[in-house]
Amino acid sequence: MKRPVAVVGVGQTHHASRRSDVSIAGLVREAVDRALLDAGLEHKDIDAVIIGKAPDMLEGVAQPEQYLVGAVGAHMKPMLRVHTAGSVGASTAITAATHVASGLYNRVLTVAFEKQSEGNTMWALSPNLPFTAPLVAGAGGYFAPYCREYIARTKAPLHIGPLTMVYARENGARNEYAHLREPVTVEQVMETPMLWDPIRFGETCPASDGAAAMILACEELAKKGPRRPAWIKAAYTFAEAMWVPNRDQVSPKAGQICAGKVYEAAGITDPWKEIDTAELYVPFSWFQAMWLENLGFCAEGEGWKAIDRGDTRFGGRLPIDPSGGVLCTNPIGASGMLRLAEAALQVMGRAGSHQVEGAKTALGHAYGGGAQYFAMWVVSSEL
Amino acid sequence: MPQLRNVAIVAFAQLPVVARDEHRTATEMLYLAVRQALEQCQARRDDIDYQIAGSTDYMDGRPFGFVTALESLGSWPPRQDLHLEMDGTFCAYYAWLRMQAGDCETALVVAHGKVSEGDPRRVTNLQMDPYYHAPLGIDAIASSALQASMYMARTGVGDHELARVAARNRAHGARNPDNQVRAVATAEELQSTPFVVEPLRQGYLAPVGETATCLILAVEGKAERMCDRPVWIHGVDHRSELQTLGARDLSRSAGARLASERALALAGLDRADQVDLAELAATNPAEEMVLCDALGLDPFASRPVLNPSGGPLCADPVMSTGLIRLGEAFRQLAGRAGERTVSGAEMALVHGQQGHCLQTNIVWICGTRRRWS
Amino acid sequence: MKCSAPPETPVKYVEAVVWLPYHYVAGDYRAVYLRALKDKKILGSRCDVTKKVFVPPVINSPESFAPCSELVQVSDQGRITTFCIVNIPVIGRNLELPYVAASVLLDGADIPIFALIQECRTEDVHMGMRVEAVWKPDGQRQGDHEDILYFRPSQSSSSGEWPRPI
Repeated sequence: MKRPVAVVGVGQTHHASRRSDVSIAGLVREAVDRALLDAGLEHKDIDAVIIGKAPDMLEGVAQPEQYLVGAVGAHMKPMLRVHTAGSVGASTAITAATHVASGLYNRVLTVAFEKQSEGNTMWALSPNLPFTAPLVAGAGGYFAPYCREYIARTKAPLHIGPLTMVYARENGARNEYAHLREPVTVEQVMETPMLWDPIRFGETCPASDGAAAMILACEELAKKGPRRPAWIKAAYTFAEAMWVPNRDQVSPKAGQICAGKVYEAAGITDPWKEIDTAELYVPFSWFQAMWLENLGFCAEGEGWKAIDRGDTRFGGRLPIDPSGGVLCTNPIGASGMLRLAEAALQVMGRAGSHQVEGAKTALGHAYGGGAQYFAMWVVSSEL
Repeated sequence: MPQLRNVAIVAFAQLPVVARDEHRTATEMLYLAVRQALEQCQARRDDIDYQIAGSTDYMDGRPFGFVTALESLGSWPPRQDLHLEMDGTFCAYYAWLRMQAGDCETALVVAHGKVSEGDPRRVTNLQMDPYYHAPLGIDAIASSALQASMYMARTGVGDHELARVAARNRAHGARNPDNQVRAVATAEELQSTPFVVEPLRQGYLAPVGETATCLILAVEGKAERMCDRPVWIHGVDHRSELQTLGARDLSRSAGARLASERALALAGLDRADQVDLAELAATNPAEEMVLCDALGLDPFASRPVLNPSGGPLCADPVMSTGLIRLGEAFRQLAGRAGERTVSGAEMALVHGQQGHCLQTNIVWICGTRRRWS
Repeated sequence: MKCSAPPETPVKYVEAVVWLPYHYVAGDYRAVYLRALKDKKILGSRCDVTKKVFVPPVINSPESFAPCSELVQVSDQGRITTFCIVNIPVIGRNLELPYVAASVLLDGADIPIFALIQECRTEDVHMGMRVEAVWKPDGQRQGDHEDILYFRPSQSSSSGEWPRPI
C-alpha cells in the first residue's frame, strides 16, 4: 500500500436469527449510522462506498446494492459491490483500504450485510443444480470430511471441537452484539445431535441477520479523528482453484500464502509471539485448530494442543475470536467484515468487555468457497 | 490534479457474441477468452499478478457462479484475486486503482455470464426495490421506457430521432465481426418495428446475447514490453445514483455528467467532444441520447464517432457490455479495429453502466500517448 | 379516507415468491461424460501438459493452465480419501439417514468425486477403503448422474491399467 490507511470508525448491528424490526435497508443503515457516529463523521465526509454480501439468493434481491444506494449514502458517489463467497466481508474492507491507499480517496465507508431470515438459506446455498447429484445439505456437509481428515492426520482428541465452542460461547457472552450468548459445557455440546459426523449441531455457526461497517481514512484525517485509529499494516486477498490434483483442503495453500504475505508486509516473523489476538473465520468448531496451523500460529498437528491447553481462550496466550466469532454470530456476508472490524477494535482498545488486555497487533481473517478464497489484514495500534 | 501512475490496456479478447452458445458453459467460454488475451500480449499465466472477475449470481442461476471461473483463470498457484458483482468495466477500475496504490503491476480483468440460461427480464425485475418497485413487475425494458418517455417529453425528441440513433449504431455494427446483430437497418425500417414497451420498439432494443471477455492492464514499464501500441488510461471516474425511479430526473443523467467531468479533469480535457470516438453502453437510443446530453456529445455529429463498434444495440452481453466498450477503445486506438477503424483516432471516451436507467455510470478517457510524464 | 392513524396490525412482511426458470447448457465435455454413464463408463479429461486426469472432464487444468484435450475412461472403482456421516436430509433426494458422503478417488483419476456410500454400516467406513460403483440396471440408465446409484465396498479388485483411451 502506497500510503498508510487506518480504521477510524466501526459499527455493527445487534445480530439475531431474525431482525424483524428492520428492513434490509434498515439493517444496513443501523451498521452504517453506528460507524459514522463512532468516527464522528457524516455522509458528506465520505468519498466512496464499498459494499459486500454473500449470494444474492439469500434475500431474493438481485444486486441489492443498487437498491441500497440511499441507505448507505452512496448517491452521486463511487460505489463498488464485492462478492467473494464467505470471505466477502473481509475482501470488501480490503477493497476499501485500497481506495484510500491509492491516494484518490481520503475517507471510504465499507459495509457488509446479510439478512438470512428473508430467504431460505439452505436453498440459496445448495440449489438443486443439474448435472451433479445432490448429496449434502449446506456448507457443513462440504466441510465435515476435511474436519475428519484433520482429526485423522493430527490424532486430535474428539473433545477439541466441543471445547472450541465452549470458549467461543464464553466470549460471545461478553459481546453485547453477539447472536448466541448462552454459555455451554463440553458435555452439552457432545449431547447435541450429530449433523455431519464429525460435526455436531452444537459445533456449527448460527444463521444470523446482521451488518457491519467501517470508515477507513488516510493518515492525515485519521490523526484528526476523535479516537485512536487502528492502522492497517498489511492486507491481501488470495484465491485458489478447486480442481487441483492433491489440493489440500485441510490446510489450503491460498491461506498459507495469504498469511505469509500479510505477515511479511506487516514485519511479523513469528505470529504466535508477535500477534496479540486474532479473529479467525471459524464456522465449524474444528476450523479453529485447522486455521491455527494453516496461518502459521502452530506447527502442523499442534493447533489442537494450543486449544486443549487453553492458550486460545480469553485470557490465554493468544485469545482467538474474543468476540465469540462466527460460532456465535454469522450474518454470512458480514461475518468476514466483523472479523476485520473486531481485530481493529482490539488494537484501538475499544472492544469493551471482550477487550484483550494490551492488544497492540491483531489479525483479522476470513475464508470462503470450497476453502478457496482468503482475505486477511493485520492491524496495529501504532502507525 | 494528482500525478498518477500510467496504466495501459495491453490486450483484449472476447468470444463473438451469440444468442446462445450451446457447447460451452460460461466459464469454459471464459477460458478461451483468457488464453486469447494472454497470447495477444505474449504473457505467460504466471506473468500476471492480479485477477478480477465480474459476474452476477442471478444471471448465472446459481450462488457462487464465479467460483468455477477460478479454474478458467488458472488459479494455481493461488492468485491475488477479487470478484465484483458488477460489469467487467468496474473490475477494470478496481485493477487500475490497485495499480495506483502500488499493489500490482499487471492484471487480468474478466467478465462472464450466460444470459441465455436465465430470463433477463425476470432478473432485472428482481434488481428493483423489493418492497415498492419489484412487486409492480418493472423490468429493465419497462424502466427504460419510462426514461425514454420522460426524455422525449422534456426535449421534444420524437420517434424518428430514436430510429436514426438506432440506425447509426446498426450501420456501424455491421462492420464488427464480434457482433450478434450485423444486419444494417434503416431508420425507417426500425421505426416500423412494433413497440415492445412504448415508446421503445423492437428495433430500438439490445439483443439478448452472451460472451466472455478478458482485458489485460499493465503499468508503465511493463505495458510497452507486452504490447507494441498500448492504450493508456488518462482518466476515469464512476458514480451511483438512487435507484428509486421517482427520486431522480430520469430524463437526465446527473451521475454520468459528474463522472465524465471528473474523468475529463483527470485527463486534462475540458470537453468530451475533444475525443475522436466514444463507446457508450446505452442499451436503447433514448438512453444513448440522455447519455449524450450528460456527456456533452451530439448524437448526430460525425465527430467524435459514436459507437464505431455498433454499441449494445448490436451486442449486449450482460456483465461484459461495459468491458467490451473499453476493449473496443483499445482495438481502435491500437490499430486493431479492422474495417471499423476510425481514422486518425488518438483519444477515446468510454462509458459503462449498471442498474436501471443509467443508475451507475463509469467514464474512462483513453489515449495513444502516456498521460503523465 | 383518513390515513393518519397507523393500522392496528402493521404489515410485518411482504411475501414474495421468486420463480426463475433456467436452461443450463451442459457443455460438450459434460454432455459426453453424461452420455457415457449410460454405457457404464466414467470419463475424464487428460491435461495436455501434466497428463493428470480430471473427473468429470474439464476443458483446462487450473494447475498448468493447459487444455485437457483428450478424453479417457477411468475405473468405476476407487478408494475413499475422506468422508462424513450425514444425519440431516438433503433437498431433492430421499436418502435413509444416516448415510455416508465420501470423496472417492477413482482408479486412473487425479481428482476425487463426491459420492454416496451404501451397503455397509456407517461405522465400518474408513479412509482408504476400496469402493465400487453400483449402476442402475441395463435399460434403465438415462445418461445422467443418477445412473450411478451409489458406491459400495469393493467386491472384486479393479482390473487392468487406468486410465484407458476411449
